[in-house]
Formats: sequence, C-alpha cells, structure tokens
Amino acid sequence: MLDSIPSFARLVAELAKFPGVGNKTATRLAFFLLRQPKGQAEALAGAILDLQRNTRFCSVCFHITEQDPCALCCDPGRDATLLCVVEEPQALLAIERSRSFKGLYHVLHGALSPLDGIGPEDLKIAPLISRLEQGGFQEILIATNFTVEGDATALYLAKLIQPLGIRVTRLAYGIPMGSELEYVDEATVNRAVEGRRDI
Amino acid sequence: MKPQVSQAIILHHSDYGEADRIVTFLTPDHGRIKGFARAARKSRKRFGAALEPYAEVLIHWLARSSGDLVSLRDAELVKLRSGLRRDLETLTLAGYGCELTEVLFDESGIGVEVFQLLQAFLDHLDNEGYSVEARLLLEVRLLSLAGYMPHLQHCADCFGPLPNGPVGFSAAADGSLCPGCDGGRGILKVDRLTLGTFGRILQTPLTRFADFKLSPRSRQEGRALLGDALRCHLHRPLKSLEFLNRFSPGESP
Repeated sequence: MLDSIPSFARLVAELAKFPGVGNKTATRLAFFLLRQPKGQAEALAGAILDLQRNTRFCSVCFHITEQDPCALCCDPGRDATLLCVVEEPQALLAIERSRSFKGLYHVLHGALSPLDGIGPEDLKIAPLISRLEQGGFQEILIATNFTVEGDATALYLAKLIQPLGIRVTRLAYGIPMGSELEYVDEATVNRAVEGRRDI
Repeated sequence: MKPQVSQAIILHHSDYGEADRIVTFLTPDHGRIKGFARAARKSRKRFGAALEPYAEVLIHWLARSSGDLVSLRDAELVKLRSGLRRDLETLTLAGYGCELTEVLFDESGIGVEVFQLLQAFLDHLDNEGYSVEARLLLEVRLLSLAGYMPHLQHCADCFGPLPNGPVGFSAAADGSLCPGCDGGRGILKVDRLTLGTFGRILQTPLTRFADFKLSPRSRQEGRALLGDALRCHLHRPLKSLEFLNRFSPGESP
C-alpha cells in the first residue's frame, strides 16, 4: 500500500530503525510529521544533521561533547581527585541528574563480556589507565552496571587500579527509594542485607 | 499452547531491541532452550535478577508454534550465586563452564546428568571460588557425558596395556598410544600416572567437586590432554576460553 507513496514509505522505513519503534509506530510518526508545518520537519531534520556533524567524544573522558575537552572535564568547580567510571554516556547522565557526584568521569563505552568475546581492548580502558598514571586522582568510583558484565569490568578495573595506590570504590547495592520490600527481588534484598549499615 | 515450568540454569543472555532480552537456559528435562523475554530490561517485577547468567531459577514459558524461541512468562530466582562475583577468575570460569556445556551438546543431547553436573560445578565455584581442579573435573566429565572421552588407560589403537612413564597422546588418534602404535602421532607426552588419575576421576560421583587436589604435573598434563580432546570436538572456539587463559592464575597455556 505504502509503495505507491515512495517518500512516505522511505520515512517509515527509516523511523522503524529506531530502537523500540516497529512499523505501526513508524507509520503513526510519519503521519504526524506529514501534518506538521514545513518548518517543523526542517527543524527536526536539521537537529539530526547537527547532532551527527557537531558531536564527538571528549578526548579525555570519552563522553559525548561538542567541544573538546568537554564541559565536565573543563569545569574548575569539579573535584579533580575523584573519578567516576561508567559503561555508557547514559549512565553518566543518570549520575549527573542525581547531583550527588562532583568529581570527573570516564566513559568506557561498554563492559567486559567473556561470553560475547568483548575484551579490555574493545573498551576505553587503556586511556583510563594513562589518565590515572598522570597522577592527581585519590579515589576511583566504579559505577558499572550490576550485571555479570558490569561486575567483571569492575573486578578487572580494581585489579589494574589498586597497584597504582589509588582508592577504588564501587556503587552500593540496595533497595530503590520509594519501594516496598515485599515487591523487591530476592537478589537485591540479599545484597541490601549484606550491605546494611548503622543509623 | 500448554505453559511449561522447569528448574533451569541461565547460560547466557543478549539484549534485543530497546528493552527485550533473548535468554538461553538449561533445564534437566527439556535440554537447552532459547527464550524471548519481553521488556526484561525495563521491568524489574517479572524477571528481576532472575535472568542473570549462572542463576538458578524456576522458569515459566510458552512454546511457540513457529520458530525456535519460546516466550518467557516469568522466572523466580532460586539461587543467584553471587559468590561467583567475588573475583574475575571465578566469574570467568563460571562463564567458561556454561559456554562449554552449550557448545559441546546440541539442544536435545543434554540430559539430566549434564544439568546436575553444571549445577554442582557452579555451586562449588559459588562456595569455594576458582580452582584449576574444578575446571579439569568439569571438562573430563562433560567429555565423558558427550561420549567423546578419549582412551586413557590403554592404547587407543591396539587396546593393549601402556608402559609406565610418559606415553604419547593424541585426541585425533582417539587417546593414549603405546610405543608400538605411536609412530609419531602422540603429539603430547602424558605420564601414565596422570592418565590413571583422570581415569579414576571418572569413577567418582558426577557432582562431587570438593576435596580434589591434583599434583602440579597432573594439572599441567591434564589441561593439555583435555584441551586437545575438546579442540577435536568443539565446532567453534570458545570466547570465554581466551578470557580464562588471560585472566586466571596458572591458566596460560
């Protein structure tokens, strides 16, 4: 049916490549765009092109940026003795949203996965170690995910960093805020009990 | 479709789309199964940590009329085995055990004994951590269960006795070779005591991993001969093996 409107079919095919977007949703989005003023569609196309043209990875922390080094690395107000290591830029944004961390970051762009054959050379681990060897950091907070891959990465990094004489810490395990114990899975409760602390 | 439920060990998972997950799990009665867990990464209520590799779960699924992926409905965590995450060596060895089991057997060829063996192996690592002995015990038992065990304590060619001391061994020649049959085919030299040790290990209960202590020589020769036997029968190289050789003490070839 859509073949008779090639421009429409092309847009649907492109939108359907987005994560979580199937053909139905892509068609709905295409109809939405069709009904928008011309300027709106141009603004969207321009934003996508600008994203591709203007962004790159920071050469220091490997976060997404338009300037190199990025604004976080250049910020004199951040604690330059504290470094947080995350798997992906999305995790960095999640920590920034919490406003609980005032140090610097390093994005690995993945996690070690013995079962998928993803090794240290596939991640930004070598630049991390070079950064640490330059000195100045007193604590490295490893904020990789709490999955087998995230834990493997944390263990590997700890092994590499500890000989440098720098304190290595890991995010705490626990019960999500606002949740009821009854509905929390056993593994999380188990870790929360193990990691209990005085009040 | 009739809903199915079974005890299972999660072998592997991979992300699919934005929030879904494809999970490979091992059951005692249905062999190895691949399932689709919709929204598993987003919703913590239905699956929680139950789909983490090496976890033991009670898993519920619906078979599909077409395709080989079943539809996962629910998974109750029985044992996460968080002790596996104590160090990189233990975690990597657990992954190697799961991948080896997955690759060595086809989907239907896995029986209850293979399930019990992997279950005992993971439990042992969970409690005791990494050891070369645990790896070798798993390898020799899996080879035996798969029907690939080479001849150890007699000549693979003439079935005659082997002399004391080092003898030739080649998995391609089906095992140990007496001096009369060797003819240069025995690429490995393995002491007869080592061959006897691994022969006796096969007489011990399948699920026993505790209290085995092998001599450095048996460990070294055992690794070489089991490695040779596995290379002969695996249809692809194991990704986790490279990790194991790289990150584990005493594992480098």
